Amino acid sequence: MIHVTNLTKRYAGRTAVDSISFDVGRGEIVGFLGPNGAGKSTTLRMLTCYLSATEGKAKVAGHDIFRDSINVRRRVGYMPENVPLYSDMRVQEYLRFRARLKGMKYRESRSATNEAMDICGLADVQRKMIATLSKGYKQRVGLADALVNKPELLILDEPTNGLDPNQIRQVRELIRHLGERHTILISTHILHEVEMTCGRVIIIDHGKIRASDTPQALVRRLRAAGKVSLQVKGNPQLVLEEIEQMAGVKTVRHVDTRQEWALIEIRTVANTEICEALYELAVKKNWVLRELVQHRASLEDAFVDLTLAGKTTPNGKGENE
Amino acid sequence: MRAFWIIFCKELRSFFLSPLAYVLMALFTGIAGFLFARTVESMQQKIMPRSLIFNLVGSGFFWMGFLILFPLITMRLFAEERKMGTLEGLFTAPVRTSEVVLGKFFATVVLYCVLILPMFLFFPIFKLVTGQSEAFHNGAFWGAFIGLMLVGTFNISIGVFASSVTQNQLIAAMLTFVGVMMHYMLGFLLYINALPESQWTAGLNYFSTIEHISTLSEGLIDTRPFVYYLSFSAVLLALTHHVLEYRKWKA
Ligand SMILES: Nc1ncnc2c1ncn2[C@@H]1O[C@H](COP(=O)(O)OP(=O)(O)OP(=O)(O)O)[C@@H](O)[C@H]1O
Ligand SMILES: [Mg+2]
Repeated sequence: MIHVTNLTKRYAGRTAVDSISFDVGRGEIVGFLGPNGAGKSTTLRMLTCYLSATEGKAKVAGHDIFRDSINVRRRVGYMPENVPLYSDMRVQEYLRFRARLKGMKYRESRSATNEAMDICGLADVQRKMIATLSKGYKQRVGLADALVNKPELLILDEPTNGLDPNQIRQVRELIRHLGERHTILISTHILHEVEMTCGRVIIIDHGKIRASDTPQALVRRLRAAGKVSLQVKGNPQLVLEEIEQMAGVKTVRHVDTRQEWALIEIRTVANTEICEALYELAVKKNWVLRELVQHRASLEDAFVDLTLAGKTTPNGKGENE
Repeated sequence: MRAFWIIFCKELRSFFLSPLAYVLMALFTGIAGFLFARTVESMQQKIMPRSLIFNLVGSGFFWMGFLILFPLITMRLFAEERKMGTLEGLFTAPVRTSEVVLGKFFATVVLYCVLILPMFLFFPIFKLVTGQSEAFHNGAFWGAFIGLMLVGTFNISIGVFASSVTQNQLIAAMLTFVGVMMHYMLGFLLYINALPESQWTAGLNYFSTIEHISTLSEGLIDTRPFVYYLSFSAVLLALTHHVLEYRKWKA
């Protein structure tokens, strides 16, 4: 559905997207994840032919984005970041206009508009001025706009940005529902959302792709590395020395001391279980133990690890291999 | 062509659903009416060689009111869409840039026609009411109408272009006003005595709105103004198209 090779975008003096390549297959829901300024919106704008790439090629829905941009745009439903809408139009009027603009016949556009409004729960506000809608409803209008001409592919740039938790849940449900019929590429910061809705995640940072995998696999890769924290009463220096000598420990550090409790964080090499050994060590050394936790890695950890790699710890990236 | 009509209709709709169109119509009709009355009055006082229409559309006051229309009707066309971000939705829909430019341009031309229509109704009404058939002849009427249409089309294309280069409506309006004014003033260079008679003055003649309008409102239809205004409008629209396409590469 999307086939990108070495796509690059340079703005005056800075490279926003740096030679990225990826594929999205038919029927997939792919999350496009990255910190602010990573180049997500820029990439999506190139795929929807709003911006031209500096270098590289991309095919969307079987058509080249340079040579055949009208055909690409006919097949893609795009919801831009911040959902720009004509605020002086009414919801129904706007959606009909958009449906017509996307090439639907007059009658077709009417039924398609009604359908899109039903899907997005806009029936109650169809006669309201867009300017008077709440943010959540504007977002829904944007979504209805994207899917009104029943495109094969939906490209959504931060569809849940700025919504309250209830609405986020509703939109997420909606996206999952849409995923049954459309291929979807969504960009987001909200990791939870990706974990719940997307079959695959592409993590991008500084214009480069850091990882592309299922959320579960990304988490597994990280969990394999593992993190354990414990709180122990005693001289932290001594404790650190002892733990460092244990098998399977990669790094250990003293995070904090709360009253006399030292908070210690341990990163282990892949696929090792050290909690038992730690407990035995504590018993042997007569340390008083208050907490011993094997952390479950989340997608958030994967995200932080992949996008902060090289910033905080020089060998940060090696940790999850 | 499909997208052209859809954009054309949408623009017209938003013009006539906003108060601006009506305010401008009232304002312009008021100014033109006032000047019309003044012209009739002064023609009563002394004998004038030219027709009523010639005296009205040739007056500087008329042009002040007239030229101010263009920045006001064109400033929002692209600048507002750029500012609001709706340009992104527009150009990610399957439409050609040329359809967008032409759709907006022709919608504005139609709005312009509607704005100046009341003024052109003054003349037949005047004839009807006073029975003064010698106030002007039909040639002058149609000539002036065609002249103002040509100048209007040209000025609108200046405005369309100015609106496409910025996202600030105020700047677009000012650029348009300066452009429109400068073009109008160009004709007055002819009347500076210091300028010796040469091929330069002959060339200026070709650009002079005032000359064109004078000729046309005497009922003499010359093809040169047609070529001049329409070809320059086309050039400005092509430039607008380029500006909008260039946006893809720059930002
Ligand atoms: N029009 C522009 N001109 C110059 N630089 C730009 C322009 N638009 C974006 N950039 C730069 O390109 C980089 C990528 O921006 P982009 O908007 O793609 O980030 P993003 O991943 O969408 O971020 P966010 O999560 O904040 O939306 C940023 O460093 C940004 O400053
Ligand atoms: Mg973005």
